[in-house]
Parts: sequence; C-alpha cells; structure tokens
Amino acid sequence: MIAPSAACIAMLVCLTLPAGALAAKLSANVHGTDGKPLPNAVVVAVPEDGRLPPLSKTVEVVDQIDKEFVPYVKPVRAGSYLKFPNKDNIRHHVYSFSPPKRFELPLYSGTPTEPVLFDKPGIVKLGCNIHDWMLGYVYVAETPYFGKSAGEGRVELDQLPPGRYQVRVWHPRMQGPEDATVQRVELRDDAPTRVEWTLKLNPEYRPPRTRLPGEPGYR
Amino acid sequence: MVMGFTAASRLLACWLCCVLALFSADARSEWGFDASGGFAYDDNLSNAFEADERKGDTAAVIDLTGGYRQQLGTSTALALSLIGSSQSYLHYTGLSNIGLGARALLRTKFGLGAEAPWLALSAQAVYHNYHDDNLDGWSYEAGATLGKRFGERLTVSGSVRYDAYVANSTPPVLVPGLSGSPYDVYGWNLGVQARFLATDADLVSVSYTWRTGTVTSVTEPDLEVLEYSDRVARTDIFGSPEIAYRINANTQTIGIAWSHTLGEHTAFNVAYAYRRSQADSELGAYYANVISVTFSYSY
Repeated sequence: MIAPSAACIAMLVCLTLPAGALAAKLSANVHGTDGKPLPNAVVVAVPEDGRLPPLSKTVEVVDQIDKEFVPYVKPVRAGSYLKFPNKDNIRHHVYSFSPPKRFELPLYSGTPTEPVLFDKPGIVKLGCNIHDWMLGYVYVAETPYFGKSAGEGRVELDQLPPGRYQVRVWHPRMQGPEDATVQRVELRDDAPTRVEWTLKLNPEYRPPRTRLPGEPGYR
Repeated sequence: MVMGFTAASRLLACWLCCVLALFSADARSEWGFDASGGFAYDDNLSNAFEADERKGDTAAVIDLTGGYRQQLGTSTALALSLIGSSQSYLHYTGLSNIGLGARALLRTKFGLGAEAPWLALSAQAVYHNYHDDNLDGWSYEAGATLGKRFGERLTVSGSVRYDAYVANSTPPVLVPGLSGSPYDVYGWNLGVQARFLATDADLVSVSYTWRTGTVTSVTEPDLEVLEYSDRVARTDIFGSPEIAYRINANTQTIGIAWSHTLGEHTAFNVAYAYRRSQADSELGAYYANVISVTFSYSY
C-alpha cells in the first residue's frame, strides 16, 4: 500500500473545508472631497484570472414609491432580471435610453408581469415619462462581486476567492470615468484588504418637483 | 356682491362634483395639491402715468390649487383643479380680495423622456370678491404653452394666452358715451420663458411677455386720459375720490426669478418683474416694478 503524500493530504483537507474558510474580504470606504461618506457608491471587484462563478437566474426589484425610484441605485450582475413594481396608487411609465439596456414599460400600475433582462454591463439610467424628476440607476456589473455603500460610505465584500483583483468604484455624480478609479489588490484569506476612494462630485440636475409660481406645472 | 359670490360658490361646487365623479371612480388618478404664500410689492398699483399718482403697496398673497390629474394615454393627461387665492394689502385695503375658481389643464408630451417637447392647454375661471360691487367679478384665462427641456439644466417655453376680467356690475354713468365698467379688461399675451438650473437646488428663470389689450388706470381727473378712454367711473379704491379710466395699451413685462429647493416638496422663490405699458395713443407710458417673495409647496 502506498502512503498518501503530504500534498495529497493537504489537497483533500482543502476540498473538504467549507467555502468560507478560503474566503477573502474587501473593505472599501468611499467619501467625497469634503470628507463626508458617500452613500449609493457601487464598489466592484473583478478577478484578474477571469474566473467567475456561474450565473444563477435572479430577479431583483426596483420599486416606485412616492414618485421616486427605490432604491435610487441598484447594482445587479449582468444577466439578472429586474422587476419594477409600482407601489404608488397612480400609474408610472418607466423607460431608459441607456445603451446597455433600452426599454420602456408604458403606463402601468401594480407590477408588470414580465421582468426585464439586464444582460450587458454598464450603467442604465431610469426615468418616468410622467414624473420627469424621477431618476434612478441600475449598475450592471460583469462580476458577482459588488456592493453598494450605505450612509456611512462603506462597502464590505466577503466570501471572495483569494487572488488578485481589479477593484473600482462608481457613483451617479462622480466626476471622471469609472476606469480611472481602478486599483489592483491582492485579497488573502488571512486579513481583510482595505481600499479607499475620494470622489469629486458633480451636482445632480433634476426638474423641480415643486410647481413654481406662474408655471403650468405638470398638473 | 354676496349674490355673485354665492353663485360662484354654487358653480364651483358643481365643478367639484364633476371632478369627483370623473376621477374618484378611477383609483389610478392622481390627487395633487400646490400651495404658495408670501408677499408681493407693486410700486404702481394704480397704473398711473404721472409719477406723483403712482401708488405702491405690499400684499400678503396666498395661492392654493388642488385637484385630480388623470393620465388619458401614454403621453396625455387632463388635470382638473380648484383654485383659491387671497391678496391682502397692507395700506390700500380696497384692493384686497379673495378668489375662488377652477382650472382645466390638458398636457401632452411629444415623445418619451424628460427632453421630449410638451404642450399644455389651460383654461381657468376665478371669481374675485373685493367687497366692492364695482370691482367684484370673474377673471378668465385660456392659453397654450409649448415647452422643451434642453439637456439637464435648461428648459425653454413659449406661450399664448387670452385674459379677461368681467366685473359684476356697471358703475353709474359719469360721462355720457363712456358707460360700462372700466374694470372690464381683456388682452392677448405672448410670452417666452427660459429656466436654468444654476445648481442642483437653484433654478433661475427669465421671462418676457407682450400683452395687447385694455388696462385700467386710476388717476385724478385728467382730460388727456379721458380723451383716450372708452370707459370711465368714479372710484375711491385708493382711499380718495379718483377716476378709473379704461384705455388701450401694449404692455411689456420682463421678469427674473430665483427658486431655491428646500426639500422634495418645498421651494423658496424670489421674483422681480418690470412692467411697462405703452398707451395706444399719445398718452405715453406708465411702468411698474413688482417684487415677490414666496414659499411654495407641492404634494
């Protein structure tokens, strides 16, 4: 009988360990030039070896509540489906002209039966043809490793396979291209890797929701 | 006066019933409410040609609009609203009035998206109660506005509008051949407006309006003004016996306004307008400066 080598034993141990035991963690902080943390920033990690887990069919949701898109920024993986339920008791007319996904959901209330497929990576700007001030974004990522910052401007990505990654950030109001934010990092399973971005922001111009004196308004 | 206001109330109650009947059955219609309140100063309320006859005053102003909006199709909507307004002058209280009326607005968009051009057709009737039989009456407006947003920051619109005021009663004849209420005025208005988002919270708008029609000028008895008037009447609206003359004039108004968004539903507005009316005759011109500061709220 041949005794197993140390390498074989190590391989067997690795294979029998739970997946999390080999997981690495990325901790990102995003803030503006004024030092304030930035919510609604999307942090994306792309493995340099190009290996990605297979896509499982997922259906995500962007609501319409009080004549606003909720959430304002929705990150999804390319190949995901999105539903746009209308939680208001009026009708909305959702559309996008963005090249990664041009679509239109004409006047509807409730939830359209067919979800919309977002299969091309990129940024999809959402609007409502009835309420011009409504604005929302779907960030379609080419990788499943992404997250969105909340009020404290932090994104924690865990359960990532260790290895080398290109990480980047996107924000609806950021100045400059998203590619300019790319950082190369090595993620290890022994300690979280920390990254940080300081973004210069543009104003966000929306038609006023308030009817101004002397204007016909939208109603 | 009381009879007129009661009649107006009944008419508006009928209108309200129609609105409710039309829209309450459809849960998808959209209820809306706009309110604005503040102060407005006009340095020539009397529309006087002579500098020493100009009368300026400040009014507390409130405007309320509420009603239903029904989307008729993918690009067209009809809104029926009730209008309430109040102007309370600090000094010339005879000009203080409350108004109650209704408005219909049909708005259509030519295409998809925030930059698609739109057309708004509107008509409104408001009854004004001045507590003065000669001044109480109905104001009417009907018009069309065509607008388009260019990029994220600029919106340009042009409008044509007809306005008329019809007083309830006719004052006693002062000059034979010039009978009728001098407060019955009408005019056609052509206007353009540009609105620019200076920041994400500050909107600056500039406007120009040209109006041709009749105006009411209140002065001391003036034979020159009388010569070009088609209606005259005695009035003490400014506290002393004077004459109200109706004359033909072309009025140009240049306005600039700043609106600062305070939240999703609220804005603070400051506006200035310069108004110059050129009489159709050799009477010359009068002018006015109007400044207003208001808060507005939309739900």
